[in-house]
Amino acid sequence: MRPFLKRRARRGAAGLLALLAALSLTACGGSEPDVNLLPQDEEEERVVNLFSPMEKTDPNAENVARTASDLTVAMAEEKLGITMVYRTYTAEDYQDKTYDEVTLDRARNNMDDLYLLNPDIVLALGAEGKLMDLSGLDSAKNLRDIIRVANTVDGKLVAIPQEVVAYGLFLNMDLFNRYGLALPETPEEFLECCRVFQENGIETPIGANRWWLETFVFAQAYADLYNGGNTEAEIAALNSGEAKYSDYMRPGFEFLQTLIDRGYIDAEKALVSEAIEAEGPDFLAGKTPIVMAYWGAANTETSYGKTDFEMRVIGFPTDRGQMPVMPMTGLAVGAEAEHREDAAKVLNIMTSDEALQVYSETNRVISPSKNVKVDCVPALRPLNERIEAGVYVLGSNASMHVEQWGNTCRIVRQLLGGATVDECMAAFDELQAKTLS
Amino acid sequence: MKRQPNKPEKRKGFPLLLPIILVFCVFGTIVFSVSQQIVREMSESAIQNLSESLDLIESTIEAILRSEAEFQTLIAQEIARVEDPEEYIRSYEKNQTMSKMSLILSGKTEGVSNTGVRFTEEELDFSAGGTVMGLPVSKSYLNYMGTWSYTIKCPVERDGREIGTLYAEYIYDAIDRSLPNGFYNKQASLYIMDAESRRFVLKPKGMGQRSAGHLNLADFYQANDIKDPGIQAEVDACLENGENILFYHDIRNVRALSYMWAVNGGTIFLVGYVPVQAIQREGKTVNQNIFIVVASMLAAFFLCILLYYLNWRQQDKLRREREEERRVHSQQLADALQAAQIASESKTTFLSNMSHDIRTPMNAVLGFTTLLDKDAENPAKVREYTRKIMASGQHLLSLINDILDVSKIESGKVVLNLEKFALNDVVSSVEAIIQPMAKARKQEFHLEVTGVRHEYLVGDETRINQILINLLSNAVKYTPEKGHIWFRIIGLKQRSSQYQHIRIEVEDDGYGMTPEYLKTIFDAFTRAENSTTNKVQGTGLGMAITKSIVELMGGTIEVFSEVDRGTLFRVDLELRIQEEQADRQFWKQRGVSQILVVDGDPESRESIRALMEETGVQMDTAADGREAADWLRSGGDCQLALLDWETCGLPAAKELREALPTGVPILFLAEFGAENTEEALEIPRTGVLTKPFFASALREKAEELWTEPGKQDASEAEEDGGLEEIRFLAAEDNEINAEILAELLEIEGASCEIVENGLLAVERFQRSEEGEFDAILMDVQMPVMSGHEAARAIRSLEREDAKRIPIIAMTANAFAEDEKAALDAGMDAHVPKPLNMELLKKVIRQCIRREEPQ
Repeated sequence: MRPFLKRRARRGAAGLLALLAALSLTACGGSEPDVNLLPQDEEEERVVNLFSPMEKTDPNAENVARTASDLTVAMAEEKLGITMVYRTYTAEDYQDKTYDEVTLDRARNNMDDLYLLNPDIVLALGAEGKLMDLSGLDSAKNLRDIIRVANTVDGKLVAIPQEVVAYGLFLNMDLFNRYGLALPETPEEFLECCRVFQENGIETPIGANRWWLETFVFAQAYADLYNGGNTEAEIAALNSGEAKYSDYMRPGFEFLQTLIDRGYIDAEKALVSEAIEAEGPDFLAGKTPIVMAYWGAANTETSYGKTDFEMRVIGFPTDRGQMPVMPMTGLAVGAEAEHREDAAKVLNIMTSDEALQVYSETNRVISPSKNVKVDCVPALRPLNERIEAGVYVLGSNASMHVEQWGNTCRIVRQLLGGATVDECMAAFDELQAKTLS
Repeated sequence: MKRQPNKPEKRKGFPLLLPIILVFCVFGTIVFSVSQQIVREMSESAIQNLSESLDLIESTIEAILRSEAEFQTLIAQEIARVEDPEEYIRSYEKNQTMSKMSLILSGKTEGVSNTGVRFTEEELDFSAGGTVMGLPVSKSYLNYMGTWSYTIKCPVERDGREIGTLYAEYIYDAIDRSLPNGFYNKQASLYIMDAESRRFVLKPKGMGQRSAGHLNLADFYQANDIKDPGIQAEVDACLENGENILFYHDIRNVRALSYMWAVNGGTIFLVGYVPVQAIQREGKTVNQNIFIVVASMLAAFFLCILLYYLNWRQQDKLRREREEERRVHSQQLADALQAAQIASESKTTFLSNMSHDIRTPMNAVLGFTTLLDKDAENPAKVREYTRKIMASGQHLLSLINDILDVSKIESGKVVLNLEKFALNDVVSSVEAIIQPMAKARKQEFHLEVTGVRHEYLVGDETRINQILINLLSNAVKYTPEKGHIWFRIIGLKQRSSQYQHIRIEVEDDGYGMTPEYLKTIFDAFTRAENSTTNKVQGTGLGMAITKSIVELMGGTIEVFSEVDRGTLFRVDLELRIQEEQADRQFWKQRGVSQILVVDGDPESRESIRALMEETGVQMDTAADGREAADWLRSGGDCQLALLDWETCGLPAAKELREALPTGVPILFLAEFGAENTEEALEIPRTGVLTKPFFASALREKAEELWTEPGKQDASEAEEDGGLEEIRFLAAEDNEINAEILAELLEIEGASCEIVENGLLAVERFQRSEEGEFDAILMDVQMPVMSGHEAARAIRSLEREDAKRIPIIAMTANAFAEDEKAALDAGMDAHVPKPLNMELLKKVIRQCIRREEPQ
């Protein structure tokens, strides 16, 4: 046998023996078992229940919004040693209770600790005193002023958002370019675009659902109020009854009525459609050139984060130009929740600058913290430019005594259901009167 | 015998391979079947394990439902006993289990609730027909708390009469509290589904991935990619019939067991999936261990195979080496046998030849001795017989010498005796031997010397002589009468300044040799013709001896021959150059600075010029006598003139003599045996130099011309003198030899005292007076004390003459080394036996002459 082969054979044999020895040692080893075989070091688990909506699941898509939120939840769990329990509800159809209705019921019955709430629910529950005052949290100090104002009820900061939700119009630029259409600035230009699309065979140019048509109304109703330089006075006038909400709301409703009358919106379909679920497929397929959605939808694959065409997101048409609409969703802690102290601690971390940086970077959204700034995706730049310029309207404002986001949504549904604009305005007057009384 | 290589090895390979494959197959089959069995058992175990877990949960939930129904029945009984049932309801506080209690009295459509709101049954759906302990249970719905719940209704009977219906609302969250915290280490997912609406009404905490929250069964299908219509149909059937279903399905590339588990007769279902790994946590370890065991066994198996293979290869290699060795040995043995047979055959032939060759002269010796005895009185016949006996004896001697030479060469005992010698002496002596032989056979012998720059060399002169005599005597022998023999000494280009590269060529136009014979010409014991049938006599050892000597000198020998065309032997030797100061000094001392060469052949002129280049003498040349004379008259000067006899002749000699000053001698350059030189020699101060010549020959000849003629004659006379009045002490153990020696010395006029061994010689010399003996003749091989020992003993005697008395070895040991041994022992000279008186006389004279000056 050649020398190197011999050496190799010896090494191999030695290695094998070593392995056998190691295996035997492993087999023979092991510590003496305790008498009680059960693990003894289990501590009582600290739990915080989080109630939030959940989109219907697509197994092949990554839900970025969910991931961003999860990252901050994981951060809180790690830092506090708390387990977050997710609870969710999503309406199966329009006949079901809405998420907001269920949230109200659950919050009123202290079913959960932490809630993700829409602006109207924030206001409703805040007014009922069901939400904890969060102004003492460290994270609250970093909030932009407008965020703080929009979430303050009766002098209490009742909710803190993780992102500033901005609604806009999502446009299929391939179709706009094909028909030589410029981005609409005013209601008239918008109507002209719809006319051209319809003439070119797109019967219903606007994809709508039962939730978000109110953004058209808000844009036209409050463009002057929020951008005219006299916001506080005008709100004060509304709260005192000197001014009427219906006067503000009328142009928007009339505009919606026009869209319905001209067939640019299918009112019947919209009335029973859930957000994105109904209008999304046609928009993604290039059949519908215009839909409305929130900022995060442009980043989320389950929504409009991945299109085959060039997409652009702009503000809603008003006489003051494109106008983003920003309602304030927020995380709130039940005032009488079982684990409210832990929930507040969790929220403090979830809305800290560190968490919001992660959230905003993951989700590419506008952060409510004045200390966190993140670039947005190209499609969102037109919308972002307006927001950065301070040109927008709020979809909800806790300082207005009449809740805006939920009520307007409800009244828009009445319009979709066949009510006249006057009837809708009467509903607003009734609401205002009720509040004043 | 024909060999069949490789075939046996192939046959060896197959039988080994087949069992290996078989073992592999069996082993693989066993491992496969064992692993399949394990997989099957683990699968069954997983199904059983999950079934038991789900049974447990099912039992728990059903127990809760039963306790709720029992509790509600008790409440109904209690309500039946109170006076105002509605007031009882209003005052009843909700608890963790029951979120709402309502009562509708019989005959009414509205009732009261403990929450204070009015209650109707319209909001509830009991159409599915589900019951708990016989009490109807409603379809699941979201209650006023925003959570999924169900209502059980129970009749309130008083005295066997139904007075109303009690509705109790229970929330699913209550069930969650009774379920284990975590399901398969929180890797499994579990939902409670309302069978009627197929909505997921509870996701118990700690059950499954928290990021997955599903609305309903369709959402569950979509999220987990359960698209197979067959599975969906099966599930539908099970839901309809309230049966359980378990099926395998990959969820996000993880093998999982999905389940729909009926609870409470199918009113609600447990829905979810469990990754198989979560059930079979130990399965992974078992599989890993099986893999490790199999891998280890395979590794061990392969290691064994490898070791076996290496061992087999090693053995095979050794076996092949042994076979090869055996084959080589056999071949060597066969070769040796063949060689031995050939040698034996050759030696038999040789012995036969020798027997014949020795017997022939011996026969002559004995025959003529007999005749001598008879014709002792007839002096003419005696002389003739003794001459013939002498010739036969000489032949016998040469035979014996050759045989001894071969014997020595073959045993590697030959030693070269390197001494200074002049090439001229060698050529002259050889020529003197061969020329008469050639002449006797009427052959023409040509000697040519060209390009030799150095004449004085170092080498074994005797052996070189032997080579030349062998080659030339062969040429004479094997060339018919009137044939030609050429002997050429050619100076080749020197490869080193220290060595003269010489080529010796002996060419003849004789019988030549066949190609077959050429191959064996240098082998011992061969001869061109069988000596018994050929007139040419010889031992057949000459060429073998020649080749051996040439090779011993580091030279080469080649032979080219064609039958009837002749043969050419070519010997190349390199001999060390000896300083030639003597020549240069001679010419300088004689005042010779210029020599005139008159030769018609330009090549010859150039050859002579080259020959004399080293001497420092200027060589002037002329083509004929006239040119030479003209050159001399025009002021040319020389101290010696050389004139080629063949190209210039007598007239030129005379012309030259006239032109030259009287004192300047002329040497005629003539070939051996040149005719008509006598007339020319009459010209004063002339001499003949045989061509070709060396510088030393020219020097000697010139010296003769300048020396007094009388002195030379005296010296020659002395050379011819006998050994008169010289007294010898001779040590010789052989009586006959001693007698012959004594007789011969007596004939020469010397006296001799014989002793029988070395010791006696030493003793006799010791006893002798100083000057009693002139020399000691010493045999070497003697009893009691050898000649060498005796010589050493004599030399060591403390006598004045012990150191200088000539001691001459006489021995049959006639080789160079024998001579060297004799000289080393302190002897002065060596004379081989049989005794040659002329040689003995010469040696004795030299020894005595050496002694005289002292």
